[in-house]
Amino acid sequence: MNNKSEQSPVDHKTVKAPGKLARMFLSLYDVGQFVTRFFKEGFLPPYEGRELINQCYNIGYRSLLLISTTGLITGMVFTKQSRPSLAEFGATSWLPSLVAIALLRTLAPLLTGLIAAGKVGSSIGAELGSMRVTEQIDAMEVSATNPFKFLVSTRVLAATITIPILTFYTALVGMLGAFLNVTVNEGTTMEAFVQDSLESITFLDIIASTVKAVIFGFTIGMVGCYQGYNSSKGTEGVGKAANSSVVIAMFLIFLEEVISVQFFALFRTT
Amino acid sequence: MQVADKRHITVGIFIFIGLLIFVIGIFTLGSQKKAFGERVTVSVVFDDIEGLKTGGNVWFSGVKVGTIKKIEFHGGSQVLVSMNIQEEAQQYIHKDATATLSSDGLIGNRIVEISGGSPKAPIIQDGDRIQANRTLSTDEIMATFQENNKNLVAITGDFRQLSSNLVAGKGAAGALLSDEGMARDLKSTIANLNATTQAADRMMMDLNRFARTLNTKGGLADQLLTDTAVFARLRSSVNELQQASRSASAMAANLNAASAKLNQSDNPAGVLLNDQQSAERVKQILINLEKSSHNLNEDLKALQSNFLFRGYFKKKREQAAEQE
Repeated sequence: MNNKSEQSPVDHKTVKAPGKLARMFLSLYDVGQFVTRFFKEGFLPPYEGRELINQCYNIGYRSLLLISTTGLITGMVFTKQSRPSLAEFGATSWLPSLVAIALLRTLAPLLTGLIAAGKVGSSIGAELGSMRVTEQIDAMEVSATNPFKFLVSTRVLAATITIPILTFYTALVGMLGAFLNVTVNEGTTMEAFVQDSLESITFLDIIASTVKAVIFGFTIGMVGCYQGYNSSKGTEGVGKAANSSVVIAMFLIFLEEVISVQFFALFRTT
Repeated sequence: MQVADKRHITVGIFIFIGLLIFVIGIFTLGSQKKAFGERVTVSVVFDDIEGLKTGGNVWFSGVKVGTIKKIEFHGGSQVLVSMNIQEEAQQYIHKDATATLSSDGLIGNRIVEISGGSPKAPIIQDGDRIQANRTLSTDEIMATFQENNKNLVAITGDFRQLSSNLVAGKGAAGALLSDEGMARDLKSTIANLNATTQAADRMMMDLNRFARTLNTKGGLADQLLTDTAVFARLRSSVNELQQASRSASAMAANLNAASAKLNQSDNPAGVLLNDQQSAERVKQILINLEKSSHNLNEDLKALQSNFLFRGYFKKKREQAAEQE
């Protein structure tokens, strides 16, 4: 089964020269196969626990500084830029509530997703691409190690776990940035800020954010792995894999954001 | 410690802190929303909920005590609003409390405000329905404003007419403003009034002085007013005077009657005074009497010389001379 799946992209490109539309559907089929294979193999023993933790370290922990800094700056800047509009009708006391809604509902998962797509997606794509190019993956198959389980499943799982965690960090740090800005300008205390910001937040907001972050993490891992795992031979293929990992992941994140907003709006009453 | 172990610990801490943020966020939000406390459900029926939404806040005496649970149509066109009230606030809300639609700021969200309720009434229970308190909607307020505007237009119209009349010198007020003669009259009237008031003022001062004199201790008026003995004597004097005047009045009446009778001829005095014939006769009598007395006097003188009486008269003359 493994051999069949891995050979399939090569077959499409070599046996015939199908048209553009047909190629698109074929690659969609490949993606479907890839995703199905992840669900088939990812949760079955033997588990690659050690490699999963390694990947969590690489994908999650190593992105923490970058994402925290971005979150802090976003919180501060968003608060600063929103102030004039609210100040126009004397409603600067609504800033905590506004920033909380913006950050927790959308900004935190989206920002984390996009930055992770850039940082993590490209690195997964490049790493797996170069492994494919240098035939390390083929070597693993020969040595009776399941390369899909070891390389793909661990990375996708690590991304799916760590991106939501990073989202919580981003939200916290972003709110901290907003608080710093608000407390300097309006003199709001921490307690009042927390009270005001949570006033307009519901459990649905937090659940929706978490679900979105899980989907974004899965997307980033999956796109990076697919592009790298199926990269064509040659160094050019590595670059292409890294590049398309980022572009496709980002595009899909926006697409998922739009769909999830519509989906969770069904449950919203306010 | 190996690099791999160190990495594992780092990842563990990273994930632990991340989950901690999530859990603390959920619990803070839970305590804010009072999501984990016991609740009672209370309902109220409004005619118009003016955009109230589920999840909206419920206030009691300005404190958030719950949220709107469900909004559904009820009866004809009314709306049944179910509210979740925190159990700790339940003891303060009585069955006769009323619910009012309000908002949590000038442009804030719609809320339900529970107010009133007498301590005598029992405490609300789960499933109770409280009375809705109808408030003026913005449309109704605007309608009243519109009415006020119309009144204002009418009033300003009247004022306009009044001022144009004033300018044109129509009416009493207009004449007062434009007629010079009237103004002069008014001026002199005011001057007269001024003089009068000054005179009145002087009079008041005199009166004041007079009253002060009256009040002087030991003065006539003071004694009159304060000494009861004087007053009693005065009263008896007045009574006597009254009696005297009554007697005088009776006497005058008698005199009057007498004089009236003198004018009549049915009594001797009246006949004497009024009857000409009788007067003539009386006159004649008097003449005759005079004549008779003259003759009698001569006769008596002759008698004195008579020898029979000469002695008597002689004796009498001698006694008179002896007494002298």
